[in-house]
Amino acid sequence: MRKANTHTLYWIGITLVLFPILVVLGIYMRTVQFGQLPATQSWFYPMMTLHGLGMVGVCYAASMACAVDALRRYIEPSGAISWLALAGTVAGVVLLLVSVFLGKFAAGWYFLYPLPMRGNWPAWSTVMFLSAITVLGATWLIWSVDMLRAIARRYSLSEALGWHYLAGRTEPEVPPLVLITTVSLIACVACLVAGVIALALSFADVLGGVRSDALLMKNLTFFFGHVLVNLSMYLGLAVTYEVLPEYAGRPWKANKIVALSWNTVLVVFLAAYFHHLYMDFVQPVVVQYIGQVASYISSIPAAVVTLFGALMLVYRSKMRWNLASILLFVGLAGWAIGGGGAGIDSTILVNMKFHNTLWVPAHFHTYMLMGLMLLVTGYFYHCCQAATELPEKPSFHNLVILLLMVGGYGMLFMFYLSGAASIPRRFAVYPAELAHGAGYAGLGALFAALFLVGLIVFFVEIGKRWIRAFRVAV
Amino acid sequence: MPTILDATSRPLRIIVSFVVGCGLFFGGVCGASAQGAIDGRILFQQKCSTCHTIGGGDRSGPDLWGSMERHSQDWLIRWITRPDLMIAERDPIAIELLEQFKGFAMENVGLTEADARAVIDHVRAETATTAPASATQAPPGGYPTPPFGGVQLAAWAVFLIFAGAIALVFGWVWLSTRNPQDVDVKRAYAVRRTFFFVVASLLLVVLGATLQDTPYAEADTKADRIVYVAARQFDFVYSLEPIVSTGDLANVLVVKRLELPAGATVEFRGTSLDVNHGFGLYGPTRQLLAQTQAMPGYVNRLRVRLDEPGQYYVFCLEYCATGHHLMQSRLVVK
Ligand code: HEC
Ligand code: HEM
Ligand SMILES: [Cu+2]
Ligand SMILES: [Cu+2]
Repeated sequence: MRKANTHTLYWIGITLVLFPILVVLGIYMRTVQFGQLPATQSWFYPMMTLHGLGMVGVCYAASMACAVDALRRYIEPSGAISWLALAGTVAGVVLLLVSVFLGKFAAGWYFLYPLPMRGNWPAWSTVMFLSAITVLGATWLIWSVDMLRAIARRYSLSEALGWHYLAGRTEPEVPPLVLITTVSLIACVACLVAGVIALALSFADVLGGVRSDALLMKNLTFFFGHVLVNLSMYLGLAVTYEVLPEYAGRPWKANKIVALSWNTVLVVFLAAYFHHLYMDFVQPVVVQYIGQVASYISSIPAAVVTLFGALMLVYRSKMRWNLASILLFVGLAGWAIGGGGAGIDSTILVNMKFHNTLWVPAHFHTYMLMGLMLLVTGYFYHCCQAATELPEKPSFHNLVILLLMVGGYGMLFMFYLSGAASIPRRFAVYPAELAHGAGYAGLGALFAALFLVGLIVFFVEIGKRWIRAFRVAV
Repeated sequence: MPTILDATSRPLRIIVSFVVGCGLFFGGVCGASAQGAIDGRILFQQKCSTCHTIGGGDRSGPDLWGSMERHSQDWLIRWITRPDLMIAERDPIAIELLEQFKGFAMENVGLTEADARAVIDHVRAETATTAPASATQAPPGGYPTPPFGGVQLAAWAVFLIFAGAIALVFGWVWLSTRNPQDVDVKRAYAVRRTFFFVVASLLLVVLGATLQDTPYAEADTKADRIVYVAARQFDFVYSLEPIVSTGDLANVLVVKRLELPAGATVEFRGTSLDVNHGFGLYGPTRQLLAQTQAMPGYVNRLRVRLDEPGQYYVFCLEYCATGHHLMQSRLVVK
């Protein structure tokens, strides 16, 4: 038995509560798009904003919590800052809820300037929303910097980034977890700084009437959003590198290739954010090409090193399959499939026809929902199971996985199909010309409900273990 | 005499002044947004356009094109300011409309009488200058589901093959754990090297093939027609003269029904007068042909050759608040 960390247990609790609620909002949106619940139509966009930002926030915080938990084997994060991270996140969420539920704030999850100041919601809800983002951003910045500090106490920066492997040395041994987390945290600091600048300029507008340049703000916003989402994914992969070997009974160590691959990722994926601005023809043309080249290159380390490595680890191993290891395994598959969808859309030629259609939610839901969320919940289950060692029921667990897979991929299939059929994203209701979008939405809602059933059953399983572990720990 | 209050008074003062400051600030912001002359167009967009259009067909409420001519001014003002009251009083016209709309009642959106007058004037003015909805009504039985084709079909096929391949590989590896055995790491690394070269060359080929055909490369070609497009919450305005700011709208000739010759290369010069919008051009089969962002302060030039004659549709492809999904327009290619 391995006693669970208290902070981790709190994060698990928060995730278990927020995640299903946010999924319900997702089902609600698909239902409205299907043409049902017309009386609640005016809530579509506020709920879309809450769902999007809430999910991205939960994904980031949960994957960060996983990485911090796994890292505790090697380093020691500050106790005070761990509490601050929890308290700050909860405070930010409360502000967000007030702004959306009382103010009907609805500028979308990345609140593209100048929309927050030009919508039909009151100015106070904009201020409240921006304050929520400020609290979350500041909290997470402090959290990231503290983790970097804790890593730096044990490893020098060049070691933590595995540069000694690149130079041909193999000592000291740095676990891939540390290497990938360091890469992610550096990216995180960069992205939060961009976020802070965008926030400050937004505040300057809403409070002081100072206008900002729309193109500059777009670049800042998408740099922030793109990096935040990707680094959350990387944190999920980092813990997979740490935990999957336990189940496979084989080591998965850092070496020259792994170090090279993650250093490439650090440089290349930052430049890939330009793929979000392909349809802004006033961007310099050269950065548009950089966007596509960088997006393509970043798939090489992902496919050749991480995916190949994971498959090699499992191939013909004495794998112990349980909910944790199955979720990690299928989570990797979801990440790969979503990456494929993203790669197709990062081709400028294709982006012309797919940008801001449902193809975009299709691919990012694939790697967030069927990728990262499965990695994270798999890791959480791993922690709770290790702390309690309750008996497991394999056939029942297979049923849970089946529900999640059929429901999840069914819902995604409807997103992709709509995207290929030119249905725009973020339409509360589809106009008569695009009425076929409503049919796909209805089927999507059904599949998502199936996913939710699987999720609730799974959460009962993990919840039982969580309560026990919590009693022991607190 | 030192008291507990003294010891805490400094932080307390800071907190109190912070709270008071916030109160003043919110009060100021809300007050500021309530001032200014009443603009019927803006009120309509903010309060009515979720349920109504003017000439765009029925939504959850009736198309208001011509509706101001159907009712008395007095009835309209009472209806717009207190629809809930009129339904409660069982006003005969209100009840008939309510039945037509299957019991879905119009919301009281909190307008004053002066607001209502401004909105009514706006609807009257729009009715006078736009074509009635019957010209843009959906065919009986609705539109057929459009066929798949072109880039969309190719991308869809590539994606399905890719996702299928991933599923197969994961399934195969999963099954392999049924008979565990040590793997030859050297051989695995050799496979990985081959895999690397395959992936890298594939990406290179696709890059080479697709990077030549981007929308930017055509910047030096000559367009047969130039159309200026100004996007605003929640419609598109066309003109053959430049529109850069709201002020230009009064000075240019606005094209209400845009017709373009078949086979012509048209350059749309798109900008926005408020927030970010997207100019998404859909062809006669209602598949997305081309798009560009419409951004305040910038002009994006989108060139397309409109070969196929017929009805083209424009939808907003960047979220721009409540009326985003209603923001659409049409043009005809002959
Ligand atoms: C929540 C949706 C909603 C909103 C918002 C809304 N309406 Fe309506 N409106 C309706 C519905 C539905 C009807 C049909 C009567 C009914 O069912 O109550 C209607 C009917 C009307 C009618 C009568 C139309 C006719 O054909 O005779 C007028 C005029 C009207 N609305 C004006 C407005 C104005 C002006 C606003 C904005 C200030 C507005 N409505 C906001 C839903 C709405
Ligand atoms: C079963 C689970 C889920 C369902 C049913 C669901 C459903 C939806 C729907 C219907 C939309 C609106 C699509 C549109 O633009 O028309 C949406 C948007 C979004 N979802 Fe989800 N979702 C789910 C899980 C997730 C997860 C795990 C994430 C994690 C990051 C996520 C992040 C987002 C984001 C960022 C948006 C965009 C919001 C915006 O456009 O402002 N969703 N989702
Ligand atoms: Cu991106
Ligand atoms: Cu829009």
